[in-house]
Amino acid sequence: MVEADVEDKRITLKEAANLIPDGAHLFWGGFGFQRPPMAFAHELVRQGKRELTIYTCGSEIDIDILAGAKVVSKFELAFFAIEGIGLAPNIQRRIRDGSVQIEDYTNLAMALRFLGGALGVPFMPLKSMLGTDLVAKSKFRTKKVKVIDCPFTGEKVALVPSVRPDFSIIHASRVDIEGNAQIDGIKGEDIEGARAGKKTIVLAEEIVDVEFTRANPDLTVIPNIYVTYVVECPWGAYPMMVYNYYDYDMEHIRMYYQQCKTEEGWRKYCEEYITGVESHMEFLKKIGFERLLKLRARKPFGY
Amino acid sequence: MKKNLKEHAKPGEYSTLELMAVCGARAIKNGEVVFVGTGLPMVAAMLAKRLHAPKAKIVYEAGFIDSNAIDIALSIADSRLEYRASAAIGLIETLGMLLQGGRVDVGFVGAAQIDEYGNLNTTYIGDFENPRVRLPGSGGGNDIVSSAKRIVVIMKHEKRKTVKKLDYMTSPGYLDGPNARERAGLRGGGPSLVVTNLCQMKFDEETKRIRLATVHPGVTVETVLENTGFDLIIPEQVLETEPPTYEELEILRSVDPMGIYIPREQK
Repeated sequence: MVEADVEDKRITLKEAANLIPDGAHLFWGGFGFQRPPMAFAHELVRQGKRELTIYTCGSEIDIDILAGAKVVSKFELAFFAIEGIGLAPNIQRRIRDGSVQIEDYTNLAMALRFLGGALGVPFMPLKSMLGTDLVAKSKFRTKKVKVIDCPFTGEKVALVPSVRPDFSIIHASRVDIEGNAQIDGIKGEDIEGARAGKKTIVLAEEIVDVEFTRANPDLTVIPNIYVTYVVECPWGAYPMMVYNYYDYDMEHIRMYYQQCKTEEGWRKYCEEYITGVESHMEFLKKIGFERLLKLRARKPFGY
Repeated sequence: MKKNLKEHAKPGEYSTLELMAVCGARAIKNGEVVFVGTGLPMVAAMLAKRLHAPKAKIVYEAGFIDSNAIDIALSIADSRLEYRASAAIGLIETLGMLLQGGRVDVGFVGAAQIDEYGNLNTTYIGDFENPRVRLPGSGGGNDIVSSAKRIVVIMKHEKRKTVKKLDYMTSPGYLDGPNARERAGLRGGGPSLVVTNLCQMKFDEETKRIRLATVHPGVTVETVLENTGFDLIIPEQVLETEPPTYEELEILRSVDPMGIYIPREQK
């Protein structure tokens, strides 16, 4: 009886990426090595999207792939690198050849910009950025940040514009078919980001029954009201990590970094692992069952 | 041969990176709330917690609060940092409510360039319009340096990194001198200690300019000056950095047994 009333928001990864028009603005979820929407990035590359703008705090191989394939032309962010290894190789080259531009904020500023978007207010105040080139210099935004005297206390505050992107892309731990999502471990800026987008797509390691989410509503961090579509996407953050599910694959990450230092190396990687495979499942088959199973999290550690 | 753990190690028994991690650890007091990133700061904070500061609470900006990690993490969002933490939340919590809310005692950051007022660059090398290298950017660095009560900078000491003028100012030290932070509206205390591979530097109370504090064992003041691009104040008396004790080294090596951030062969 209950099941019949449940709205089913499931679509496939291909259908989800197909919703994104060229030139769209996206909130990009995950933080550092944790839960980046890697499979979604691959699918955007396969479908040849162009001229996207991405808003995020700090991202790594996922956005480096999007820059390498010239899917994204503008980023508003605080940080990009491959932590513990080096600079993001493709983005370096794309900045040099002029196909990518970056507007710099801080992590707190970006997180607040998403919170502002979610709250429906036009800007947010903060006490960072003050006195530095983050205020003095901008790349492509005509209005990047404004420092004012607080109307109540008189102290200086920096105002940053809220973000309401066309889509928010989140990779969660679990979600039910109507979009109630659970995230194990740190949430980064995904709580605010999921609520900032005009439409929100939640990809997840597994789809759980509505009975499970409804029996544990305190575990839901993104309620169904915010969620437009749901995509089942196991190993969707590989070669990065998902807490309680799997660890990162350092060997693959190092190989990516070394190979993508040259344009030729990047093209080879892209052909071999992204455009040369038909789907996310084909990509996982290429990586191999045994290799993936070795990365599975061991209780009680979550990694 | 049984060593007295409290005794200082001799030259050749420890590496420069080990000494730098020990200097960082000593800057943490018991019970403090410590905001760190990965790399040497993480190793320093883990060392402090196992030595003199067991009640220090380590916060990582991704959302890990009061982390008790037992494995070395590669990413600031690494699942390893969740082990026995008090909470795993997110950036608004760590950078917003804890840090900007005034609850962080000491923050650790690195930098590609530093100037004589302790301002830091982690964004561009070269011209802003046509940079030679695009670095990772602020991340939470500017937030930490803006709002923590004290800042410890850990970085490599080279002439091109210790400059009179930064290529880009990502994070605010004392800006252009006394009271400049207050005028800009910054609430945090600013940089208090800079640890490099050659020395430790602090800031003059009155002028807010950087001055030499201690030189590492085997390093002369001349060597420091030869490798420094800005005007460094040299006090009349410059002490030697206290070498690591055998106890500090033993625990440090157990914190990073694989030598991920402190490679064993490096002396």
